[in-house]
Amino acid sequence: MGEYKLLLRHSGDPSYATLDGYQRQGGYDGLRKALAMDRQQVIDEVKTSGLRGRGGAGFPAWIKWNGLPKEKTKPHYIICNADEGEPGTFKDKQLMETCPFLVVEGMTIAAYATQADVGYIYIRGEFVDAARSMRRAIDEAYRAGLLGRNILGSGMNFDLHIHTGAGSYECGEESALMSSLMGERGMPRLKFPHAPLPTISGLWDSPTLINNVETYACAPFILANGGAWYASIGASTKNSRGTKIFSVSGHVNKPGNYEVEFGTPLMELLEMAGGMKGGELKACVPGGSSVPILNAEACQKAIIGYEEMMEVGSMVGSGGCMFLNEHTSIVDFIWRTSIFYKDESCGKCTPCREGTRWMFLILDRIRSGQGRMEDLQLLEDVCRQIDGRSFCGLGDAAAWPVAGALKVFRHEFEEFIRSGRSLAARA
Amino acid sequence: MSQSSDTPTLRFSPKAVAELESLKTHYPNLKACILPALWIAQREYGGHLPPEAIAEVAFRLKRSPAEVQGVATFYSMYNTEHKPGRHMIEVCTCLTCHVCGASNIVAYLEKKLGIKMGETTPDGMFTLHGVECLNACDRAPLIQVGDEYHGPMDEAKIDALLERLRNEPESKVVALADAIVQVHLKEEEREKARQAAASVQS
Ligand SMILES: Cc1cc2nc3c(=O)[nH]c(=O)nc-3n(C[C@H](O)[C@H](O)[C@H](O)COP(=O)(O)O)c2cc1C
Ligand code: SF4
Ligand code: FES
Repeated sequence: MGEYKLLLRHSGDPSYATLDGYQRQGGYDGLRKALAMDRQQVIDEVKTSGLRGRGGAGFPAWIKWNGLPKEKTKPHYIICNADEGEPGTFKDKQLMETCPFLVVEGMTIAAYATQADVGYIYIRGEFVDAARSMRRAIDEAYRAGLLGRNILGSGMNFDLHIHTGAGSYECGEESALMSSLMGERGMPRLKFPHAPLPTISGLWDSPTLINNVETYACAPFILANGGAWYASIGASTKNSRGTKIFSVSGHVNKPGNYEVEFGTPLMELLEMAGGMKGGELKACVPGGSSVPILNAEACQKAIIGYEEMMEVGSMVGSGGCMFLNEHTSIVDFIWRTSIFYKDESCGKCTPCREGTRWMFLILDRIRSGQGRMEDLQLLEDVCRQIDGRSFCGLGDAAAWPVAGALKVFRHEFEEFIRSGRSLAARA
Repeated sequence: MSQSSDTPTLRFSPKAVAELESLKTHYPNLKACILPALWIAQREYGGHLPPEAIAEVAFRLKRSPAEVQGVATFYSMYNTEHKPGRHMIEVCTCLTCHVCGASNIVAYLEKKLGIKMGETTPDGMFTLHGVECLNACDRAPLIQVGDEYHGPMDEAKIDALLERLRNEPESKVVALADAIVQVHLKEEEREKARQAAASVQS
């Protein structure tokens, strides 16, 4: 338990971003092993590893890998979701900047397993440094015969392109990302069961695999050391295996990315980040802006694991962990959260487009000192109207933090309304 | 020589044309080139996308200007509305930056430049702009200028940054667009574009 550097082990060594340096540390052992296996064996290793998607939802990776047709009748595509836009998260950025070959190798392994011909890394437009680092790695991999035609003499062909976003949080949602990659506005598409899964019909109606940067970065280790070895990490948890990178920010002494074994207590993560700055711990948003906020008491109990975090009322999410000290006004914090979702709602469906606006308006009224007690009930009603009724996950993601804060910090909202200002501000 | 009435005025440089030709090979159809082509256009048109830039992208990709305009306006990094100043200062005011003092950074920049968020200085040098999480919250409060992130910011660092930017003749808005175009291109594709640029100069 505690810190476990697997993905980030060599992230401090600049040569790890070069092919030589990467291979010195065992880079491409995973792909070599994969190419010697048949495709199904590779997928089975991923199944044994227990790897779950690191983009937020924690969906078992192998199910997607296994979901593309085995009989190929069309081109197959794979996408790396490098749009990292969840407030509080900056792990994919660091992975791409310091360990780009983990992503390239991981995607190549996935391409082999799924018979993909072409891959795209969709990187958000602002991440120029990360994109440059990926570009250098891809160019080097082509030069060394690790991308392109007949990779390592295996007969496998795989082309890898970079495609950048242009400023839109919604494009991190996988179907909106595909719209964007196909040259459209970044709006989500109809989902299963109303439409086929992307593994059957995704990019240009072809079978498509999409995973997060960190998910792909795990694949080289799983193939090099075996799925069973990977599954032994984090085995104390119900159903979370391996390591997870947490981006720790807020009122801590040493903000940054910390990689931990699943099963680590949340408070240990805080310790790694140098402890609290400027005051006692008041609250924590452990998995990115979309997940419900925890109070200090829940933080003491929280164990890092997909199911374990739910037991204390929150989620692992994307691992954007913000610690807040006692001087933080929760009303103000949630008000700022509501601005984000209002601005990033793509406007396609009514519950989210209207609901996020109303949440903001009500929170803005409360924050300005004009709030009424009934506003809290009203906010909860709006949350209920959005959650589960929106076209894509952004609506749910907008409702959860507000609903969560109303549950855990209700007294603070009430006090704010009564006095017209926050507890923290008076302290 | 007169062009047919549906041909817009074309301003892409030979380098830009070569870049676009390479990009077309990355996708199965021309429509998918719209986003990267808009980045090329934003660079070629000096940091923004006036209607002529939209028309040129549409023409080169055989799409309608209305479609390309519709796509461009969805994304916040394409400057479709007005031309920003030479350098755009993007201040993150999102969650972590908010709790780590972004409002002080905004106030200081507004005072120092004599403009409000969303405005451009009268000399056309700086545009101030608020943005959502730039996903480098470990460096909060954070500022982005073109292809550079700066943080954690304080008043002294802002002073030094503005001083440097004033003496920077290249527009950071254009630099960002160019950097994004370059990451799309493979080594040999960048070389092809260089040769296309060199062939007109000689
Ligand atoms: C509004 C919204 C934004 C999202 N943003 C991201 C993102 O920036 N990066 C990411 O990997 N996944 C993001 N996701 C999750 C993706 O839809 C998808 O689940 C993920 O790419 C799957 O990869 P994984 O299985 O490896 O986690 C987002 C989802 C929603 C609803
Ligand atoms: S929930 Fe609806 S409005 Fe909100 S981002 Fe998704 S599709 Fe767009
Ligand atoms: S909140 Fe400013 S970079 Fe994330």
